[in-house]
Amino acid sequence: MKDEIVKKHKEPFVRIAKRTDISPRRAWIVRIVAILLALFVGGVIISSLGHNPFSVYGELLKGSLASPTARRETIKTFVPLLGAAIAIAPAFKMKFWNIGAEGQILAGAIGASYFALFHSDIPHVPLLIIMFIAAAVCGAIVGVIPALFKARWETNETLFTLMLNYIILGIVKYLMNGPWKDPTSGFPKIAMFEASAKLPKVLGVHIGWIIVLVFAVLMFFYMTRSKQGYEIAVVGESEKTAKYAGMNVSKIIIRTMIISGAIAGIVGFFSVAGANYTLNENTAGGVGFTAITVAWLAKLNPFVMIGISFGLSILTKGSNTIQTAFKIPKSVAEIITGMILLFILGCEFFINYRLVFRSRKGE
Amino acid sequence: MKKRLFAVLLAGAMAFSLAACGSKEEEKAAEAVKEAVEEVKEDAEADTEEEGSGVTLDNIKIGFVHVSDPSDMGYTYNHDKGTQKMKEDLGLRDDQIINKYNTPEGAECETAVRELAEAGCNIIFCTSFGHEDYMLLVAEDYPDIQFCHATGYQAASSGLDNVHNYFGRIYQARYLSGIAAGLRTETNKLGYVAAMPFAECISGYTAFYLGAKSVNPDVTMMVGYTNSWNDPTVEAQVAQSLIDQGCDVIGQHADSTATQTTAEANGVWGVGYNSDMIAAAPNAVLTSAIWDWSIYLEYAVNCVVNGEPIAVDWCGSYEEGMVGLSPLNENTIAEGTQEAIDAASQQLLDGYEVFSGPLYDADGNVLVEEGDFYPESGEASAPSWDKIIDGITILG
Repeated sequence: MKDEIVKKHKEPFVRIAKRTDISPRRAWIVRIVAILLALFVGGVIISSLGHNPFSVYGELLKGSLASPTARRETIKTFVPLLGAAIAIAPAFKMKFWNIGAEGQILAGAIGASYFALFHSDIPHVPLLIIMFIAAAVCGAIVGVIPALFKARWETNETLFTLMLNYIILGIVKYLMNGPWKDPTSGFPKIAMFEASAKLPKVLGVHIGWIIVLVFAVLMFFYMTRSKQGYEIAVVGESEKTAKYAGMNVSKIIIRTMIISGAIAGIVGFFSVAGANYTLNENTAGGVGFTAITVAWLAKLNPFVMIGISFGLSILTKGSNTIQTAFKIPKSVAEIITGMILLFILGCEFFINYRLVFRSRKGE
Repeated sequence: MKKRLFAVLLAGAMAFSLAACGSKEEEKAAEAVKEAVEEVKEDAEADTEEEGSGVTLDNIKIGFVHVSDPSDMGYTYNHDKGTQKMKEDLGLRDDQIINKYNTPEGAECETAVRELAEAGCNIIFCTSFGHEDYMLLVAEDYPDIQFCHATGYQAASSGLDNVHNYFGRIYQARYLSGIAAGLRTETNKLGYVAAMPFAECISGYTAFYLGAKSVNPDVTMMVGYTNSWNDPTVEAQVAQSLIDQGCDVIGQHADSTATQTTAEANGVWGVGYNSDMIAAAPNAVLTSAIWDWSIYLEYAVNCVVNGEPIAVDWCGSYEEGMVGLSPLNENTIAEGTQEAIDAASQQLLDGYEVFSGPLYDADGNVLVEEGDFYPESGEASAPSWDKIIDGITILG
């Protein structure tokens, strides 16, 4: 068979072959080389702007870790990123492509904001608990809609969850411009929360960082040690196997998306009550999408997600600092961080596949 | 002082040791000596000038928080130009000014302001509307630092005496730029790309329209919103839709130059904003309504150095040079524009109120009586006119 093919078609210059034999050690070497290459290419861009790459990279680290305020900001960026990555992890494990975390975060933020804006007379702790629950419920509702459609009518969840993002964003804009508009301002914005609706701080950052770390631990055990986690994995590998084993696939999809949406909703609660103290169209700020990168890089392992979200937060905060310190335009700073991500994601390709070049003999 | 003397000695030593290395190095070293000597002089001057507050022009640190960066060639670029001018006029050094660019109007802003406070800034300027709430959060914790916010409205009601608002009577400059538009238009339809449906923008385009109408009674205007301060793509789209509906002079209240380049691409005219936009669209731009922020920056910094209070609400005028017109583009303006603008400019200097009655809304209701005027930016520095007058239609 193989000879026949070679005869009919000229062998391509390069072929891609699946790799099955790579050792963990070599895989890590590939990853480290990728990061170094990314830094090198970023360095070329920085040099072309007339800056010293070493001092720029140094400033990037310094700006995100050197002072207490910088560290706090890095953690503030870290919380929603990790939270959203944890939220989408079970859905992705199930191969349910939930790219609607952005909308689920906003939905949670809307739910929490409602109580913060109109029931701020409730005492501090009960109010925060109510906001927490409201956010989880709203996030879960938005998360479960595409799951219901998928379970009932086999709709495409990728498109469905993506489109829902824009609907929820539209609702936020409507609230900002209309019913929830700050009456004391002519500007279309929602008022800042009262003190009773703000999350308390632990070590300078809102308490969400502790909760989100707890979520990471819980999610790890849920996915690897619980029966439900096992069911999710089976559905992800093969729905038919799951059915054959007597699992109710629809129920599992719906249940998992409720969990996924609820966690995303809680992330929205952290953003409005812990960081922004108000709701606006930037409350989610693309975190729902960046979280996909995090979850994927971590191979859906919540503990690895902690490290990756932290690394990404350093990049985000640090790239802001280099804009300030070296007057590097925002777009260039984004190119550099994008480049680093691209190389790291891209190297997974070389870990899973290898390139086979056309041998001289074949010609 | 001792440190400075040491610097002079060191520079001198450097000059000496480098003398053998060639003429270029020699020049450099000589320059270094000169600079060090000058610094010592300035230092001494500042020392004698200031005793009380301890903050001098030599040790003051100034922070800025911007929503964008100077590459926008619009609002931030222009505010930053004001910073540069202030730096030169007051003889400040680079390391006395810390800029935070691309700061979103959210939690990041609070951090940026806090970082500036911790970096030892004596006065911090936040330049975008949505920064105000977050600046206030930090201002509470740092009563000794002065916080100044452009375009905001909460300083007076905040109860904090270290918080200040500043703005300018840009409507006066818009009125003048409207005259150029009113004389230029051939279809008698002006277009206007506005960022947000609220007072700052409405006041601006109303003044623009009134300026046009003062020289061309038949003129009407269509306004399209972008719902963003800086989104070149949407700005271009809105401008295009205005042009498609017959508007042939397009004004703007948005940060980028996209409106003007779109006007140029369609062979119609435009009026820029923030900074002189002729370079971006040389065949379209008639003139631009521009800001000179250095006037306020120098005022506020001098207040800190002299230990004087900064005004709670400060509003610079055309007379003071805070707002103005960029030079008219001789290639694009209609005949007689310069004369008409000169005349109106004199009127403004003589105290003419832009929002003078009679003004009506589209249904004929009187908004401002004849003989009366609306005192724009009277008490608060931020503009407050938010009515749509007859002759202006808003795109749906």
